Parts: sequence; C-alpha cells; structure tokens
Amino acid sequence: MATSEVLIERLNRGVRKRNARLTFVRDVAFGDALRLRRFRLGNGLTVLTLIDRSAPTVSYHSWFRVGSRHERPGKTGLAHLFEHLMFNATRNRAPGDFDRLMEGAGAEANAATWTDWTYYYENAPRDALALLIELEADRMANLVLRAPQVSSEKEVVANERKLRVDDDVEGKALELLYEKAFVRHPYRWPTIGSMDDIRGFTVKDCREFYRTHYAPSNATIVIAGDFNESRALSQIQKHYGGLSAARRVERRRLSKEPPQRAERVFQLPAPTPTEKLLLGYRAPSFLDPDTPALVVANEVLFGGQSSRLHRLFCLDEELALSVRGSISPFVDTGLYEMWILLREGKKKADALALLDREIRRIGSEGPTPLELEKAICQLELSFLHSMETAGGKAEQIGFYETVANDGAAVFERLDAYGRVSVRDVKQAVAKYLRPSRRTRVEIRQRAS
Amino acid sequence: MSILVESSDVLPLVDVEIAFAAGSLQDPAGREGLALLTGHLVRRGPRGLSQQRFEDRLASLGARVSVQVSMRSTRIRATVLRRNLEPLLGLLADLVWRPAFRASDFAKLKRQARAALLARLDDDQSLAARCFREALFGEHPYARAQSGTAESLARIGLQQVEGFYGRNIAKGAFLVGVAGDVTDTEARALVSSYFPSSTRHKQKDSIVPTTKTRPGRHVIIVDKPERAQTQLLIGTLGSRTRDRNLFPLLVSNTAFGGTFSGPLMQEIRAVRGWSYSAYSRLLHAKQREAWYMTTAPASEYSADCAALQLDLLERWVDRGIKKAQLSFAQRYLINSHCFDRDTPSKRLESRLDVELLGIPRGYVEKYDELVARVSLQDANEATRTRISTRNLSIVVVATANEVAGAFESLPGVKSLEVVPFDRG
Repeated sequence: MATSEVLIERLNRGVRKRNARLTFVRDVAFGDALRLRRFRLGNGLTVLTLIDRSAPTVSYHSWFRVGSRHERPGKTGLAHLFEHLMFNATRNRAPGDFDRLMEGAGAEANAATWTDWTYYYENAPRDALALLIELEADRMANLVLRAPQVSSEKEVVANERKLRVDDDVEGKALELLYEKAFVRHPYRWPTIGSMDDIRGFTVKDCREFYRTHYAPSNATIVIAGDFNESRALSQIQKHYGGLSAARRVERRRLSKEPPQRAERVFQLPAPTPTEKLLLGYRAPSFLDPDTPALVVANEVLFGGQSSRLHRLFCLDEELALSVRGSISPFVDTGLYEMWILLREGKKKADALALLDREIRRIGSEGPTPLELEKAICQLELSFLHSMETAGGKAEQIGFYETVANDGAAVFERLDAYGRVSVRDVKQAVAKYLRPSRRTRVEIRQRAS
Repeated sequence: MSILVESSDVLPLVDVEIAFAAGSLQDPAGREGLALLTGHLVRRGPRGLSQQRFEDRLASLGARVSVQVSMRSTRIRATVLRRNLEPLLGLLADLVWRPAFRASDFAKLKRQARAALLARLDDDQSLAARCFREALFGEHPYARAQSGTAESLARIGLQQVEGFYGRNIAKGAFLVGVAGDVTDTEARALVSSYFPSSTRHKQKDSIVPTTKTRPGRHVIIVDKPERAQTQLLIGTLGSRTRDRNLFPLLVSNTAFGGTFSGPLMQEIRAVRGWSYSAYSRLLHAKQREAWYMTTAPASEYSADCAALQLDLLERWVDRGIKKAQLSFAQRYLINSHCFDRDTPSKRLESRLDVELLGIPRGYVEKYDELVARVSLQDANEATRTRISTRNLSIVVVATANEVAGAFESLPGVKSLEVVPFDRG
C-alpha cells in the first residue's frame, strides 16, 4: 500500500475536474491487523477502504443516509420501493443488465432499507471490483424511472408486504407496536410502507426522491477485501468523479417524540396456534452513552440458553417456547423489543408478571458477576462472527459510518461493552425498563 | 475417529464440529424425531453438571453450541473465543462421552418439541416445504419430518434415545472438525487428548430404498385462513448425488431458475411483479431427491402464477437452454464458488460433507472443472431425462376456497386435495 501522500499525488495527477479529485482524510486501525482508510472525492463522496487478503473476495457497499424517517405521511415506503427500483435500467444499461452482469461475474448483489439508511452491496470475487464500481456509479446518477418499471416494482413490493406483514403474525404485531409506541416521530410508520401508499406512488414521486437523496454527498462507499487500493480509487475517480456535487440533500427537522408516561396496551387477534406478547420499551438512541449498558442487560436477560429469562420462561416454568429481546439501533430514540412466545394454554398475565419481577430484580440488584462475564464474552463472540467475511466487515463499517460518523467505531463499541459494570446495568434497567415506558401488543388466537 | 483441520489466524475464533453419520433416516418408522431428540438431549449437558451449570460454563467461555440433524448426519457445532478452545474441548468431550440423559430433562425436552411443532404452524413457508416432501415422497423415508409429529414424539421414551445414542454415537464413529485460529498440529494434539479413540469404528451406511414418482400432476392445498398471499411449491424428483448427469442438471437448473437473471425470476417477478422471489432448486442425495420451483404469489393470481410456472417448466424441459444461458450459468457457478470457501468453517463444512454424506471428493476438489465441462447437449439431455413435466406435486398454502377452483383447472391436474394447515 502506497503512503497516502504519494498515492493521492499520483491519483490526482492530470485530473482537472474538481469533483474527481481525491483527498486523503485519515487512516485508523481496524482491529489489530487491518487499517481503515478514509478518502473523499471532490463531489463529497466518502470512500472507506479496508484491505483484508484472508479470502479472494471483495465486498462493495454503497450506504445512503436515507431511510423511512425521510418520508412523509401518505408516501410511506418510498425509500424501500426505491431500493427495488435501483436494480432497473439506467441511461447506459438495459433492464436486467445490472443483475446479469453481476451474476455473470459471480457477485451476489442485494440491498436493505431501514429507518435511517439504505444500503446496496455486492460480494464478489476480487477480480470483479472494476465492474462493481462502474455499475454502482452508473445507477447513482443515471437511473431510468418510467411507468412500467415503477408499476412492476410496486406489485413486487405489495407482495413483499403480504409476505412479511399481512400474512406474518410477528410482522403485523411489530407494525402495530411501532405505530402505537410513537405518536410523532417517523419511526411510527413501517419501512415497507402502507399498502395504500405503495399502490399510490407515482413516477414523479420516485424521480423527486432520487434527485433529493441519491447524491455523492449523501453516500459512503466501503470497499473491503482483497483488492488493489490504488486501482480501485482510480476507478472511483473515473466513474464517480463526473457526478455533480450540486444536488443538495434537504434535511427536514423531525418532530420531537413526547415522553411516554403510561403503558399502552393493544390486542391483536390473529390466526395463530399460540399466543404471544410483544413489548416495546422506549430505548436510548444507538449513540446514547446508556446504550452499551442496556445491550449488556439484554444479553443477561435474553442472550442464549444460559440467560436469565430463557431459563425461567423456557426451562423452569415452561411458560414459553422462546423469548428474545433486541434494541433498535436507531439514530433517534427507538424501542427495546421483547418477544415472549407462549406455550399452549399458558396465560399472558403470568408471563408478564414473571417478566416484570425479573426486570425489577435486575434493576434493584443488578446482574451477578458471572452473568456480566457471560454477557460480555457472548457479545465479543457475536462481534467476531460479524467480522468473518469481507461482507461482514463492510457492513459493520458502513453502518457505523452512517449512524455514528465513524466506520471504525465498531471497536469502540466492543470496548464499551467490556467497561460496563454491574452498577451500569442496574441503572440502565431501572431507567429504561419501566412499565410506564412500554407499549404492549398482545397477540391472541382468533378461531379459524 | 478422524480429525479434519482448517487453519486460519484471521480472527481469534475457533469452530469445532463433532459429526456423526447418523440422522433422521435412522429414525424407526413411527418414532420419527428420535435422532433430533437424541441430539438435543445430548446438548443438555454431561453427567455431573446440571443443565444450568453447563450453560453457564459455555457462555462464560464465550462459546455457543448447537445441534443440527439432517437425514444422514447429526452435527454438534460449537464456536468459541480462541483463548478458551481447550476448556471447550473438555466440555464437548464430556458431552459426547458422558451425556447426562436425565429423565427430567427428557420430559421437558419432549414438551418443548411438541410446543415447537405447534408454533411452526405460524410459518407458511415451512408448512409448504413439509407438505411438499410428503406429497413428493409419499411413504419413502425422505418424506419423514425430522422433528417428528405429536404422535411419533409421544412414542419415544428415554430408552429409545439411549439406544440411538449407543448405536450411533457412543462407539466413537464420529469425525471431529476444527476450523479457525489454531494450527494443524495443535488442533490434532488437543482433539486426540480429549477424544482418544481406541477403535476406528466405521458407521454402516444405511440402505435407502429407491424414490419413486407418483404418476400425474397432483395439487395439495394446505388450507389456512386469512391468507393474502400463497406459498407455492411445484416439483418432482431430481437427482442422485452420484448420478452421471448431476453437474449437467445443476448447470441447466441454474440457467432456468438458479439466479435472478434466469427466465423463472424474470417472467414472474421482473415482468409481472407476481412474487417477491422465484427460484428453482435441485437437491441430491443417495436416492433421487427433489427438484422444485418456489414462489409466493398473492391469492388472486396464485393459480395464474402456477400455470405460468408449468408453461416455463415445459419450455425448459422440451426446448432446453440456449448456449448463452449455459455459459452464463457456468460463469455464475464458477465465479461465485469462492463464497463456498471464504471462511475456515465453510471449508471445513464441505470436507465434512465429503466424509459424511458420500459426496465424491472430486465434486469439491474439481468443482470448477466439472461445471466448465458441461456441454449444451449434456445439460439439455440431463434435464429431459431427469425432470418430469407430467409427474408433479403442486403444493400451495392458501385459503382454500379462494384458490381451489383455479388450481383444479390447471393443465393436466389429476387430483386435488385440501388438507387443513393444523392437521398435525
């Protein structure tokens, strides 16, 4: 790897367009053995590179700071629909070319959309990198948005919604939970959108969305794996350097979510063989200093077969088939979701009483030292697993860059887990897991 | 006992796998679910440690252990922080050689297994998959539900579990695989010290009867209320692992429905938007396994989607694929093959498959060559020989009264049966 000054000097030699000129920003350690290097193109595009020659593969991620929070009521699901549309024709490529070229090269291409971001990725053999750069740059600026493509993708998304929400009891319950837990914040509507909104999108909506959010200055490119950095950056200059920096991404001020002062309870009848409880406690944002302690608390409560609630609910009392919990990794205040899948004939009230008792106990006594040790070891294990492939590393970097403005912050988060004390867990549980902060969805059986 | 090692110092992680060549095919008729129950009961811990203490020990090592049972193998899979490999091996050795088999754990496990069967009724994809295998394989052991049924689980006692363990595990007829941050020498020394094997007992390969197709096209509707969308599986028998035409069929199937760019996905999703996904899959085993197409269209056009799939299937089998499709599928399979071996655990998995499932070593070592060697004639002949357009099982999870009439009218349908989704 060339020194940054030499590399930049060489890459910018003869480059006249300001947008195509590269700047080296910084180089930071990424774990013990790797370096994460940050570059910026003249048009505002951030490029992060991580060379890792452990496998002959490369992962190319394009993260955009746009998600369902940037939508408006009546237009929910547009960010997600757009993710689908991005696989269609461009001014330079016919319909189907993108997938055909990617698959022919052995690349797996896909994308994901959530509340705060959308990302597109390819995991490919290392020799395919030039193709990935060319095709991704092309669709960032040259997407063709016409009625036939929009109409067909609307139908696909409507089907996806039926799959993930309408016919899925857990999907339906989650949608209800977020709708009721938030009264103002856009987190209240589903990322996939309402069926009416999906059906109602126009080509004009899509074009406007594209112009507003798909710009180099709103994107981060992450390249991880076995590749030649100099060649990759040169390709980036060539294909992204012509894109204009002129488009400004508008940022709306979001309404602040008022504090929740009392529990909200909702019933969801469904054709399901067993009853379920879904709870959502108002949780801190991903970057809040309390979040690591709450993540450790979640591991103590729900992490695997030795966890406190698994043992109580599934083994000792046999109230539930499974229990699980997770904290939404959102930019703003999200939810700490807890699921209890009851066994046949067991009562929701008993499950809730047991849950409340244990939460109170951990809030007053904290976890035992053994529980804390287990939780931190398990979080370390999960972290290492997430880093096994080039794609896993790129995803972590892209997420932390987009949400925390620092692609290497994933290691800081792991260190933060290691510093969490019994007292921190106790305080976080006592502060956040109060019944008055939660919304509860009770899924009950509806006779067929 | 054999030891397989895949070293890599990229991350301070090690995977350990203890694999037995015995799975649900060894379940006696009427006691389906025995192999899975045995695996899960072993997983509850060794003698001398309560389940809770065993779980605590694992978790504080930064380890996780799971058990996977397939038709032909049972695999205890563990993953651990590198610094704790040795204590984990000690725990695993105890688990394998001295499982506790406590009656109280067994009773709880059976109740849990029955609860899991009930909970699975929520999952339409799994309902469709299970019903499809029953429809395709009938009375053949390939139709058996690995998790068993409420009735078969009730017939299994602790004695049967101990018997299964004694016949298939206790004799030491297993493989130990280690992948990750450990050298070959170190791994072998550690495994040998915790798993000393006095005899090299080889598990007898089970006899599996030939699979047969049921003549005609048969529709089974798994009736579930309030379905906005359907889960649709259409298929027939596919290939044996050792079939001469396995690779030609693999390439041909990839061209037809193995990628996003294939005609199946293009016609159903890209052109019509009828289903979020549309793929075809080719499985292989000792006897002919399944080949099937899977889609998830809305109820209102589910039968239209099925009709289109049948038409695409006939075109594929009768006319074959084109030269350009063949080379595209070959490029895709060869170029993407690096993702079957980009981590030490994946490399270990494929070596274990060779040892346990009777997959010829050449399939792994010469994969690219075997794919590249397939000619257009081979691919199309394999498709015509192996994929029947006449004998098909068509399974759809749907609200029956919304789709039954339309499915009955599909071309060539010989029978239509409606079964309740919660029939047990």
